[in-house]
Amino acid sequence: MGYGKKRHLQSIVIHGILAVIVFICLFPIAWMCLISLKDTQESLTGFHSLWVESPTLNNFKRLAELIPIGQNAFNSIFTTVVGTITSLFFCSLAGFAFAKYRFPGRDFLFYFVIATMLVPVEVGAVPLFVIMKKLNLINSLWSLIIPKIATAIGIFYMNQYISEVPDELVEAAKIDGCSDFGIYLKIVVPIIKPALASWGAVTLISRWNDFFWPLLFLRKQAKYTLIVTISLLPISEGLSTPWPVILAGTTVVILPIIILYLILERFQKGGSFAGAVKG
Amino acid sequence: MRKNLKKYRAPYLFILPFFLLFFVFQLIPVLWTVYISFTEWRGIGTPEFVGVRNYQKLWIDEMFWESFFNTIIYWIFGLVLIMAFALLIAVLLNSSLLKGRAFFKTATFLPNICAAIAMGLIFRMLFDENMGLINEVLAIFSVEKVPWLSGMEYSKIPVILLIVWRNTPWYTMIILSGLLNISNDYFEAATVDGANVFQKFVYITIPSIRAILFFCSVTLTVEMWKVFNESYILPGPGTSNTSLFQYMYESGFNVFNMGYASAIGVFLMAVLTIISLIQFMAKRKQGEL
Repeated sequence: MGYGKKRHLQSIVIHGILAVIVFICLFPIAWMCLISLKDTQESLTGFHSLWVESPTLNNFKRLAELIPIGQNAFNSIFTTVVGTITSLFFCSLAGFAFAKYRFPGRDFLFYFVIATMLVPVEVGAVPLFVIMKKLNLINSLWSLIIPKIATAIGIFYMNQYISEVPDELVEAAKIDGCSDFGIYLKIVVPIIKPALASWGAVTLISRWNDFFWPLLFLRKQAKYTLIVTISLLPISEGLSTPWPVILAGTTVVILPIIILYLILERFQKGGSFAGAVKG
Repeated sequence: MRKNLKKYRAPYLFILPFFLLFFVFQLIPVLWTVYISFTEWRGIGTPEFVGVRNYQKLWIDEMFWESFFNTIIYWIFGLVLIMAFALLIAVLLNSSLLKGRAFFKTATFLPNICAAIAMGLIFRMLFDENMGLINEVLAIFSVEKVPWLSGMEYSKIPVILLIVWRNTPWYTMIILSGLLNISNDYFEAATVDGANVFQKFVYITIPSIRAILFFCSVTLTVEMWKVFNESYILPGPGTSNTSLFQYMYESGFNVFNMGYASAIGVFLMAVLTIISLIQFMAKRKQGEL
């Protein structure tokens, strides 16, 4: 077999396997969107579920009657957006301190931050609930935001990225009389925008999808995030919520975050240091 | 000391929030869990000290051992399948023959974005015994209807599949970032020497990304021992799908047996510590740390 022919065969195999994998990745999502548009009278059995006779948005209407979807969506958006912004700010600030200052105890403290990642905070769920109760944060969205304002993994990631920012830039700003926070805001933040975008995307997704902590800390329906509400859908109408309505609920959870991800993905590329040094 | 504090006030101030939060929301809860595990406590009133009684109860609690066993199954299958698929997909995505890389990268990443709870509901419908698509497809190959969600011997399969479906993309991305750092010179030299695809994979790719594979397996292990969402949304008959972490949650917040739940938490913490230690020691023995 010739070299070119062999490469051609390899190319077919690679694309073939990836096509199957992409199908497995996308099918459940596409199928969900499809069924959410199906009338509840239509058959859902087996292959019938692959076809929509008369697309309708009625399931979304039913969903809105069944649960306070607007309120729950607001709760999700609030915790996700506020959580992501505060987390980006405090993680990059701490990452900046570790990357650009030679303060006493720096190395020890940095390893300490890393080591905290090995302590699974979830095992402390029982006392954490008590602490939140003492702080009056049960049924408050802040219970989801405050503990994760500065995370070890976020600081680690930001530190990696900010270490690559040229020291000359920071020094020059210091000589110009820029304050420490001013250096962070005016010099560091503009350069690390791509890192903020990609870490922001990761944080957004994990906050939006978070289930355990909202389940633990939010104890009434008006305070639920979307995920918690959706998880209760199958039993919300006495065990008989129709599947298209449930899948309308999951669509409301999944589709916005996918669209947001596709938009954010465009901002993650680029980001060159060369221009910053020259300019 | 005071001079330093003044001189370096800014950086100390910048890292202070993390340490405050760590102290209040991580260190105190974890230590407190250890204390509560030695008490009998219903969530209200004063905890009553009972020594190791909660641990003695664990020892003879069949549900505890079942959830422990379930978690081991999730861990082993999750680790092996996710690493295998992530490596396969990463290698394919890294191939120089691939066209439309951006599309494939995005499409294979999407499962990771989807909430486990929402996907769990979709999986429930897909794997439904009577009307599910999976059984219908299997029927073409004249396979009898499988009770995926209600049969003791099958009910963990949808959970494992959901775990693998959702978590693989994350590790694919990490492994891919490692593959991108391997110099092409190695592959070219190997091609000149007449090495085939599999030889290149075994002798160049794997050794080059060993550190990343190790990192992935450590984080994945921790993740798998903390499985909650997938088994929560896809419960099998009885406790046949319950994970250890889920059992802790249910003991604490459904049965309000806080002392007992904390004992499970301490057990979970001990297991994770032991596993991490073993992994790091094995790594050190190989002389790589």
